[in-house]
Amino acid sequence: MGLQALSAMAKGQNGVGAFILQCKRIDFHYCDYWGSSKGMVSFLKHRLAHFAKEHPSIEINVSPKPNHHPVIKGTFINGRIRAICVKNLEPTQIYQKALILRNASGDKVKRWNKPVRSDNPSVRGIWSPFHGAKVSLLSGKGS
Amino acid sequence: MIVDFLDVGVEPPSNPHVLGISFSIASRPLTGYRADGVGPPDLFMKPIRLRTQVPLYLRSPSRAHPHFLRSHPPTPFSLPQCRRYSAYAAQESASNPHPSFEDGQPIDRPRTRRWKDEELPSPLVQRSLSSPKLSALHARLSLPSRFPIQTLARALVTPSADPNPQFNNAALETLGSDLLGYYTSEYLLCHYPRIPIAILFAAQSAYVGSTALATIAKEWGVETAAHPGGEVDPGLLQHLKLASGEEVASPEEAWGNRRRTLSSRVLYDDQFGDLHKGVTTPFSNTNFKFPKDVPRETISNAEDHATGAEAEPVGIPVEDAYKSFVRALIGALYLHCGPIATKRFFQAHFLSRRLDVASLFQFRHPQRELAILCGREGFEAPVARLISETGRLSRHPVYVVGVYSGKDKLGEAAGASLMEARVRAAAAALKSWYLYSPLEVTLPSETEHAGEGFKWSPNMVDYGEVFV
Repeated sequence: MGLQALSAMAKGQNGVGAFILQCKRIDFHYCDYWGSSKGMVSFLKHRLAHFAKEHPSIEINVSPKPNHHPVIKGTFINGRIRAICVKNLEPTQIYQKALILRNASGDKVKRWNKPVRSDNPSVRGIWSPFHGAKVSLLSGKGS
Repeated sequence: MIVDFLDVGVEPPSNPHVLGISFSIASRPLTGYRADGVGPPDLFMKPIRLRTQVPLYLRSPSRAHPHFLRSHPPTPFSLPQCRRYSAYAAQESASNPHPSFEDGQPIDRPRTRRWKDEELPSPLVQRSLSSPKLSALHARLSLPSRFPIQTLARALVTPSADPNPQFNNAALETLGSDLLGYYTSEYLLCHYPRIPIAILFAAQSAYVGSTALATIAKEWGVETAAHPGGEVDPGLLQHLKLASGEEVASPEEAWGNRRRTLSSRVLYDDQFGDLHKGVTTPFSNTNFKFPKDVPRETISNAEDHATGAEAEPVGIPVEDAYKSFVRALIGALYLHCGPIATKRFFQAHFLSRRLDVASLFQFRHPQRELAILCGREGFEAPVARLISETGRLSRHPVYVVGVYSGKDKLGEAAGASLMEARVRAAAAALKSWYLYSPLEVTLPSETEHAGEGFKWSPNMVDYGEVFV
């Protein structure tokens, strides 16, 4: 056996080709009795159908949670769950919170302090106009 | 009343969903027959109005018995996707399996009863219309609207959950597996005509192998049911899990200690060069002989078919369940939406994944292999020359060595020693030969739906790799 093959797996690049929204489910929990759910109930009555129509790829569950503050929970493709408490919020604010869940990737919030993340990192770094030899347009030579 | 392409019956009156309701079935044209979605006008289903609870028997010429099916909303496909009453009612009377029918004609109303969801092995078809998980998955994958959500539900039922081939995804999976293998291998072979067979197997496995498909299904957000059954959400992947401590029989054991070569992998094994699962090899059983003219695939499928329908369902690993879903989805997409949509989906979800084919190579004697290759191609024998070096007397020397055939540089690499750099340079030269990729490629499958201006340019076919 001269030549052998190593086993590998092609790596997914979401957005190259197909794009899969990472938020796959949002659960809305509300309470019928507590005043903190007032905005949430209004949201469920008047805004939720529109939100669901806008995002057909998100499964939406509505369930009562008596004697608790209202909460929305997002479940993501990577298996993580993110919950946002929406007590005493207006429907518009709850809509914004739902958008936060929609836009999230599900990963923990990380700090990225490198300007570029790449599968093929450049050996020489990113070109910068403020560094290196100065190019004169007249002579065509570096000074 | 005889209606072609349709196999339908009336719900027993106990079901509240159809009590007193009149609706028309399949008033839409039958789609999914051709790639362009245009079927001949006589393929349109005839609208039928169901007004009463009197049984209405419709006969399909291709079947021996008319079946009682649960009524369902109109679906634009002809796959038998409706839970059949008579099949389960017949289990109660073993002496006469079909008491209600004689010579294909109904003589009496079949003895049926209402089945609870939890008594069925897989969810009812009509429940898939009310599953938010299914519609979300349909939207998430951007499936065409022509792709029925009921078929998506069927693709999620593995044979380990429901052994009945009318309701599981086994048939769709077979088709999808072949399509995935076809599209991937033609892409690899046309874009890398000199790719060695071992690398081809590895690349094929990297794109559409078991692990890759399971990962893709998870990235699509597919979840598995804890246990299969008729009462679970149709949007969950249904498979019978392996019992604790249970192990899957390895096909390697059936093969025994016989030596597996590259030739045997090409001849006998599946598209990844791995042994077929659950297949008796020609050597493990002395009484077993393959007929000369029957391909091996047929035999393995026949065995599956023979054992699959009757035998007790066997648990499968979750990876296999995910794999079967992805394959079945591809097969169903091909049937409903045609090759163009399937290839677009394949391009978007499979080929768009990143794979560095060059990283799959593992050479043992690259210099020797390069010398043989040069001899075969009539090049001058390769010579390694030092191009540059730094830090020879230091702790970290770096040598840059090129391999030359005459005046042509075949490959170049850096190494920490002269020998290492020379070996790496030979490997680089071999990779650049094997991974040659033509600029213009026309895939054979493109001719299936070629338009007017399509121009076929023949693909390059290479002699093959060299063996050391």
